[in-house]
Amino acid sequence: MTLNKDHIGGLIFLTISVVYGYYAYEIRMFPGDQFEPFNAQTLPIALAWVGGLISLVMLATAGRSEEPNPNLAQLNFLLVGKLMVLVWLFAQALSWIGFLASTILFLIVGYWILGERNPRILLLASVPFAVGFWLLLAKVLDIYLAPGKFWQMVLGA
Amino acid sequence: MWDGIFTGLTTAVAPFNIMMVVVGCFCGTFIGMLPGLGPISAVALMIPITYGLDPSSGIILMAGVYYGAVFGGSTSSILINAPGCSSTVVTAFDGYPMAQQGQAGKALALAAYCSFTGGTIGALILLVAAPALATVSLSFQSSDYFALMVLGLSAVAAFSGKGQVLKALLMTIFGLMIATIGTDVIYGIPRFTFGNLDLIDGISFLLLAMATFALAEVVMTVLKGEHKEDDVPMDMSSLGSMKLSKEEVKHVAPTAGRSSLFGFLVGVLPGAGATIAAFLAYGVERNLAPRAIKDKFGKGALRGLAAPEAANNAASTGSFVPLLTLGIPGSGTTAIMLGALIAYGIQPGPRLFVDNPEVFWSVIISMYFGNIVLLILNLPLIPYISRLLIIPRPILIPLILFFSITGVYLVSFNSFDIELMVLITVVAIFLRLLSFPMAPMLLGFILGGMMETNLSRALIISDGSLAFLWERPLTALIMSIAIIALLLPILGRYIGLKRFSADSLVVADKGEG
Repeated sequence: MTLNKDHIGGLIFLTISVVYGYYAYEIRMFPGDQFEPFNAQTLPIALAWVGGLISLVMLATAGRSEEPNPNLAQLNFLLVGKLMVLVWLFAQALSWIGFLASTILFLIVGYWILGERNPRILLLASVPFAVGFWLLLAKVLDIYLAPGKFWQMVLGA
Repeated sequence: MWDGIFTGLTTAVAPFNIMMVVVGCFCGTFIGMLPGLGPISAVALMIPITYGLDPSSGIILMAGVYYGAVFGGSTSSILINAPGCSSTVVTAFDGYPMAQQGQAGKALALAAYCSFTGGTIGALILLVAAPALATVSLSFQSSDYFALMVLGLSAVAAFSGKGQVLKALLMTIFGLMIATIGTDVIYGIPRFTFGNLDLIDGISFLLLAMATFALAEVVMTVLKGEHKEDDVPMDMSSLGSMKLSKEEVKHVAPTAGRSSLFGFLVGVLPGAGATIAAFLAYGVERNLAPRAIKDKFGKGALRGLAAPEAANNAASTGSFVPLLTLGIPGSGTTAIMLGALIAYGIQPGPRLFVDNPEVFWSVIISMYFGNIVLLILNLPLIPYISRLLIIPRPILIPLILFFSITGVYLVSFNSFDIELMVLITVVAIFLRLLSFPMAPMLLGFILGGMMETNLSRALIISDGSLAFLWERPLTALIMSIAIIALLLPILGRYIGLKRFSADSLVVADKGEG
């Protein structure tokens, strides 16, 4: 028997339901709440049971699925991984080098990752946009954007 | 009612709100035109901007974006055979062949006129139907609301397409599970936070919507290598004449009228939405057409283009009925709008009609304005707007990623939210690869809080007995419809009712309006 999409999906949701259900029973309650017709555990426990049940039905009927499995070899996971790491780094950079510098770097590296190599385009499509957007937020809409710990350390408060 | 309409009209014609309609339609057209980004992503991208506006203006802007995105989707379907969203997939069946025959301008104009007809008829019916339904639903109790939410969620699963029912149900449950993360609204007890203070307030719907739609759509494009494709095979400056002859107008007018009514009715059904309306209208029109015209379907038939365009726009309007009157979104996009309304402190539902008539009526009236804007502003600008499609994807994709991330960051100013977005996006991509639809999850997430509150009330009133589900006739009726909606796909398979499903509905999740 080969595993198809539905088998994998069913197994994943069964696991999620079991783990969720375990933690649902662990939700702390105020004394006496367990005797109430509805408490903080009621819905999560019901969801865990319903989720588990549907997952089991899905696993039981997965053999009938006519859907083809995705051709993973044709998918560019490496590129997506790079983009996701870039987004994560952008989150870290925001508090260190501030919004403006983070945006410029994010865009340049993003364009680069997706195949743009012309230095002129890399700069022209990032710096004016980032500066314009920063001006709009900070000066026009008066939104406070922290300058970043790095600049505070280098330039003082 | 007339006082309300007058209040709504006054709000809708305020210069700022008219500007919001124009900006919304324009932005929506642009975003909807980008293959892969549908109305859900377009509306989600607008949410951070609407937070700074008053509720009426914010919702008017989002409604404009919604219309614009559906219209933009039609444009890319016709010009480059790359539907911006699933509801415009059918538009490409006859629109693209017309463009290939040198009639791109005519196809765009016809799409715009039929969208206008659909939107206008839809808005007029909404004007009458919404307050009537709202008045009826004022008598609803918590058990009825709970049943309605069960109906809304089960209908989404039921309409999700062949082989997708269980997946849609699981995604709905998953959405409900995510909604329980954070402090319990009834007892104030933290749930599933694992001691993390960033999770105390739960996961914001904006973050979830952006991660599962805007961000995930773009990342899927990269994953499939579509970002390298050159989607602009035709010269945007020579679209041909945009004029329709009198005979052509006469030929498509009945189709547009029929499909509009049909689309509206389908749009009102929770979960059905614009995609199913477009496919059904196309099928119906093809069956009604005389043999000679029937053979032209798929090769550039005017009626083949008119039917889905009128139907999907009317259905988009129709999907506002359950949102505005019952507080239950009928589609992914209206689910996002529901979240935005709740963020404004406005509870959609029958009380909206009474408590916030200016929001209720201004949205309905501005929908009509939206249609006019699309017709008189967007149509002449299409040759220019479509040039934006020429922006290379390696430049466009990081920009969309940036807007998605900053949209969330600028609301919370918490970089943890971006990290959470990355995590949710990765999960969403994985689930998409396994063909799990995303819209039911978002719907489950948004309805989760309300569902729990109403279930709690109903259970407390009935002293813990589940009899409230069948003791009240209205609750029992709604629950019965929910059960029938769930059983329908299974029965349909046996009695051959699901002729239209197959390929059409599998794509329904991708940017479903």
